[in-house]
Amino acid sequence: MSSRTTIFRIAALGGLSTAVLLAATACGAGGPAATSGSAASTVNVLVEAGGHAELTGVAEQCKKDTGITANFVELPYDGMFNRLSSEFSSGNVSFDVAALDSVWLPSFKDAVQPLDELFTDEAKKDIFPALVKEANVDGHFIGMPAWTNAEIILYRKDLFEDAKNKADFKAKYGYDLAAPTTWKQYQDISGFFTKDGMYGTDVKGGVETEWLAHVLQAGSPMVLDENNNVVIDNAAHKDALDFYTSLVKSAPPGAAQVDWAAAQNLFNQGKTAMTRFWAHAYRQIPKDSPVVGKVAAAPMIGGSAGVAGVPGPWYLSVPKATKNSDAAKKFVKCAYDHNDLGIESSLGLASRISAFEKYQDKAGYGSFKPLIETLKGQATATRPATAKWQQIVDTVLVPLLQKAVAGGDSATLLAEAKKQIQDLLK
Amino acid sequence: MSTAETPINDRFAAEAPAYPRHAGLAAAILATGTKASGATAGAAPTGALTVEPTMPTPAVSGTGRPRRRNHHAEGLEAGKRGTRILLWIVLAAAMVLYGFPFLYLLFTSFKTPIDTIAVPPTILPKEWTLENYANALGRSGVLASFINSAQTAVISTLLSLVLAVPAAYGITRYKTPSGRVFIMAALVTRMVPPVAIGIPLASMMSSVGLADTPIALSIAHTTISLPLSIWLMSSFFEAVPNDLEEAATVDGCSRLGALWRVVIPVVSGGIAVTAIFAFLASWNEFLFALLMTAIRSQTTPVVIANFQTQFGLDWGSMTALAAVYSIPVILLTLLLQRKIVAGMTLGAVKG
Repeated sequence: MSSRTTIFRIAALGGLSTAVLLAATACGAGGPAATSGSAASTVNVLVEAGGHAELTGVAEQCKKDTGITANFVELPYDGMFNRLSSEFSSGNVSFDVAALDSVWLPSFKDAVQPLDELFTDEAKKDIFPALVKEANVDGHFIGMPAWTNAEIILYRKDLFEDAKNKADFKAKYGYDLAAPTTWKQYQDISGFFTKDGMYGTDVKGGVETEWLAHVLQAGSPMVLDENNNVVIDNAAHKDALDFYTSLVKSAPPGAAQVDWAAAQNLFNQGKTAMTRFWAHAYRQIPKDSPVVGKVAAAPMIGGSAGVAGVPGPWYLSVPKATKNSDAAKKFVKCAYDHNDLGIESSLGLASRISAFEKYQDKAGYGSFKPLIETLKGQATATRPATAKWQQIVDTVLVPLLQKAVAGGDSATLLAEAKKQIQDLLK
Repeated sequence: MSTAETPINDRFAAEAPAYPRHAGLAAAILATGTKASGATAGAAPTGALTVEPTMPTPAVSGTGRPRRRNHHAEGLEAGKRGTRILLWIVLAAAMVLYGFPFLYLLFTSFKTPIDTIAVPPTILPKEWTLENYANALGRSGVLASFINSAQTAVISTLLSLVLAVPAAYGITRYKTPSGRVFIMAALVTRMVPPVAIGIPLASMMSSVGLADTPIALSIAHTTISLPLSIWLMSSFFEAVPNDLEEAATVDGCSRLGALWRVVIPVVSGGIAVTAIFAFLASWNEFLFALLMTAIRSQTTPVVIANFQTQFGLDWGSMTALAAVYSIPVILLTLLLQRKIVAGMTLGAVKG
């Protein structure tokens, strides 16, 4: 046998083996393919990893009620926007329902179907007003709220109830030590507990939502007014920024780099006496944390315009490109009907007022009353409906805050930010 | 058995008895006509030409005792004592710099939840626990993601080698202008941001019905590893002297026969290096996996990333799964260590 024949035989064998391998592995190990419309009784639900748990119980109930099976496509938050952009732009979607972050709704408004029929009068009464407003883009409701969140005050009740602390605080500030309701009280209490290696609060230079909540509390819309004019340099923004940076002296060092995870860690480690944080954190304190069982919750503080927070809702939407619209819409309706099941999950959130109220007096759900009060706040508002919002946050607002907490002049920084945002919106 | 039917290796062995069996004439050329010592350590496939490494042997003095060791000292053994100590310190510092992040990840995977987020962070766990491993491995879809990662990496590596070896061989042996343009063009593809090709690639795969399959992801990963593989294999083929192939053709080999029986075994170390890089490129790839997989073919890097959510970061479970996921590549690297070293050496002895 010639060497050439041998080579060709080996090459053929190798090619065949590769072909067999390729064929054998055409089916991945994860189950059925995620193809929209693969079966009328199955819907693929694209969801951020943290939201999967929220919808698991709902999906089980919906299977019993409607016979629709939900397969979850779980993705990390940072990559989900890219994935959605990719699939929406191609017109081929691998999912029938998508859980969308509220800030993405304006970007994807043309790629998802109206869900107006689900927003009955009864439904609108049971959804927080800010969410009803946000779900409506260009005259159509394009997402049904699946769960929502807002920043509230978490504080160390053991420290607040300590007799010596109460006496010392009253002697120093002239009023009783209690959960803060105003900016001034928050400043006083933060200063009071900043001693002996502990800090009164945190200041987050790496995220913008908290400062924007203070802007609402000061009586201004966030960054853009209703006509999309940039108002970031108005007095309310400056007051809010000055209040925000005034807390730096009562916060752990390195405020410019503190984000949600860092702030949560500091509080759970017992390093801070108070934090303004998303309500879900109340139920997520590790069992071996030194502060477990010692934390209480209060509504977000108020400014001249009253209590206000920035809601963080996620919406279930149905892409126009899905071939399984009917089943997808049935699933969305079913998820709304059984919204309270999300509260039983590890995340423990819902979107309906009635769902929160059902649990608010139960043990372990002490954050719900403050959350409801914050979400119902007169000045509470969702983020501006612009497709450029994430870009504004990443390139303008966060750098602005980082410079401000490091000692930058607030008026100058806000004036610069205004110009940058105007350039972005051109 | 006639001469024509005699396996070429055996004929080499018969004609060049001064060299080990299977080394033959080509090996003699390699050892004497070039400086290719240590070219192919390790075993070659049975029946294939093997060139034994020509390791330096201690010279023996007239008295029968080895000469002073310093005479042949190389690398960290070379030079003055002070220089050696300095080199060892630099080496140790480099090892700490490279190794510490992995060690920290490993230790974190054994920490309790509150310990993982300690402020300030601690290196060693205060209390050792396997809870994170139980959580990570108990999560639905983890086992499937491991299988998907392995499938994808194996297919991608095979595709890269099948395409890169002949491409690199053709470029280095024929040295045509179009070959030079081709190899430069291959390099240019590495300069394009992956996201720029990831999104259209995902659309294309979806259009041809390959959405959410390991094959689609393997093809995507091949776009990353193939240019690197071609360049690597080109440098390895460059190091093999033409005389070696000419000797094989004199002995009756065709061009392909010389490639298969002489050149491929000589560059087997280089192929191992290329395979390792191609495998690692696919095994650790995240962006394409994020864009192109969903339920059926999701790979482990995406699952690891899922431990960081909008609502918190599960450090313990994330590090546990990352530690488990790194075991196969560590084992693979250790298994192929000799081939890798040989491949590295091969690239350095172009003669």
